[in-house]
Amino acid sequence: MAATFSFASKPVDPAAETGRVADPACGGFVSFEGWVRDENEGQRVLGLDYEAYVDLAVREGERIVAEALRRFGVRHVRCVHRIGALSLGELAVWVGVSAPHRAEAFAACRYVIDEVKHRVPIWKKEHYAGGDSGWVNCERCAQPTAAGGQHDHAHHQGHDHGHAQPHAPAAVLPPSDYSRQKQLREIGEAGQERLRRARVLVVGAGGLGVPVLGYLAGAGVGVLGIMDGDTLSPSNLHRQTLYALGDVGQPKALLATRRLRALNPDVDVRPFVERATAASLAPLVGDYDVVVDCSDNFATAFAVHDAARQAGVAAVFASIYQYEGQLQVVRGGGAGSCLRCVWETATPDGVVGNCAEAGVLGPVPGVLGSLQAMETLKLLLDLPGTLTDEVLLVDLLSLETRRLRAPRNRACSQGCVRLGQQPAESVELRFASLDEVAAAGYLLVDIRNDDEVAGRPPPVASVHVPMQRLLDHPEIIEGRGRTVLMCARGSRSRGTTEALRARGLQTVWSLEGGLEAYLAEAGAAIGADSDA
Amino acid sequence: MTTVHVQYYAILREQARASRETVTTRAQTAAALYAELTARHGFTLAESLMKVAINGEFAPWASVLNDGDEIVYIPPVAGG
Ligand SMILES: [Zn+2]
Repeated sequence: MAATFSFASKPVDPAAETGRVADPACGGFVSFEGWVRDENEGQRVLGLDYEAYVDLAVREGERIVAEALRRFGVRHVRCVHRIGALSLGELAVWVGVSAPHRAEAFAACRYVIDEVKHRVPIWKKEHYAGGDSGWVNCERCAQPTAAGGQHDHAHHQGHDHGHAQPHAPAAVLPPSDYSRQKQLREIGEAGQERLRRARVLVVGAGGLGVPVLGYLAGAGVGVLGIMDGDTLSPSNLHRQTLYALGDVGQPKALLATRRLRALNPDVDVRPFVERATAASLAPLVGDYDVVVDCSDNFATAFAVHDAARQAGVAAVFASIYQYEGQLQVVRGGGAGSCLRCVWETATPDGVVGNCAEAGVLGPVPGVLGSLQAMETLKLLLDLPGTLTDEVLLVDLLSLETRRLRAPRNRACSQGCVRLGQQPAESVELRFASLDEVAAAGYLLVDIRNDDEVAGRPPPVASVHVPMQRLLDHPEIIEGRGRTVLMCARGSRSRGTTEALRARGLQTVWSLEGGLEAYLAEAGAAIGADSDA
Repeated sequence: MTTVHVQYYAILREQARASRETVTTRAQTAAALYAELTARHGFTLAESLMKVAINGEFAPWASVLNDGDEIVYIPPVAGG
């Protein structure tokens, strides 16, 4: 996988560029070409010069292509922008995206060209037929208009890099109006400000996700992340009321983003067109105040749970079956009971029917999703009555609800002990799986000496920094986030951790008992499993 | 004999064809009662996949039943 952005001072060869994103794993390739056009604001253009503050522009361009890779789950993103003198019809900018499927490739390509036009500082000097010339700063359109729309700027200077991007002037919209909720004594201006600063990640933009997203966007939550790797199917529409029949086949995260931006331009909506997994969630979850699990399978719910619990972020879970639903709120900061206190492990998929197998009536996820939106707002606004260490059962046929107490389970080693719930003061951690710890975003550092590492390589992808070097250069791990040091038996790593803590590095831990104890335990676990 | 009130959710409700029933049983524990009800209704979910709550709180399967207990058998649910 690669995301590259570069400038070219010589003509760009599209065929050669296409070859650089070719990949046998990809079934779709989408490219965009922007050409020099012969007319701008009524003046005949003969040619132009592009100039860029290259260092800055490349950095911003690289950021954009990396975002596209991550948000849309495509495999290769490449953008080349010309600088220097260009004549009419010449290729000014080329974007190419390859992906397993076409929908993501189209979306990512569109994203890159739009963002490049808005964010990368490039100037162009146009040479007009009358002998005049004028500089146009392409970055100027990065200024939002009064309407506040993020991507719908009215352009006063025609300066499209390409002819395929006609920008319609943005309609003038009234400002978002929160008066009806601010009217509530518990909310008011202060509560509205809290919502504006809040950040919520919604995993799953389906039956549960649609009401969650609609209400949170309407309420003016500042940042809404949407993670969903699925495309819209016609069978979704009876319960996913944000979408239209004409949207079928498109990624739901992008469809929802478009609708929510139209619903409330105040909200910074961030789509992630990818499956929620431990690896895709770990780097994201810590950026949010609440994560809402609106997924439709156990594996995803547990991945969301573990990532949130690990990052100390509150999470709101719901799931449905035919006419019923279950709701659970897991508090932030490792407080209270968790999903694994109730269900130790994810039930294998297929044991209990999902919506496709068991059927579902549209309002059922509508009600449960609305409850999730409500619990999320209660958490963000500190309203009373939040479901706390409880599971709510809702039966929409009998209209009965039941609030069951679910206190912390002392046997919950997975959700309440294993993952990052140890207070920062404890220096040593024990883990069932170092691979999961790495996937959860910890930096693993092997501090044994060279001979030891050569003799017995570490059982997990890790960085090798011998102990003395680490003590001499603690800056190697400074700012790298949560870090676990490993040695053979756990004593050197503990001493080093204590020394680093004393120097102010608070997010460093030592692997208790070292690699020997870990491997012995992992071996025992493998033996036990094979007996079962 | 102990008389308890049993509530079913999701797939158990489907298989029992009722959302609740009152049962008089020789079973001493929540687990023994589930085994008895499984024999009667043909429940397909193993006890290990399920949870039980007694009188409004999640409880161990070995919990002893008392007259008048409200028993809720809860299967895992994942739809969205
Ligand atoms: Zn727990």
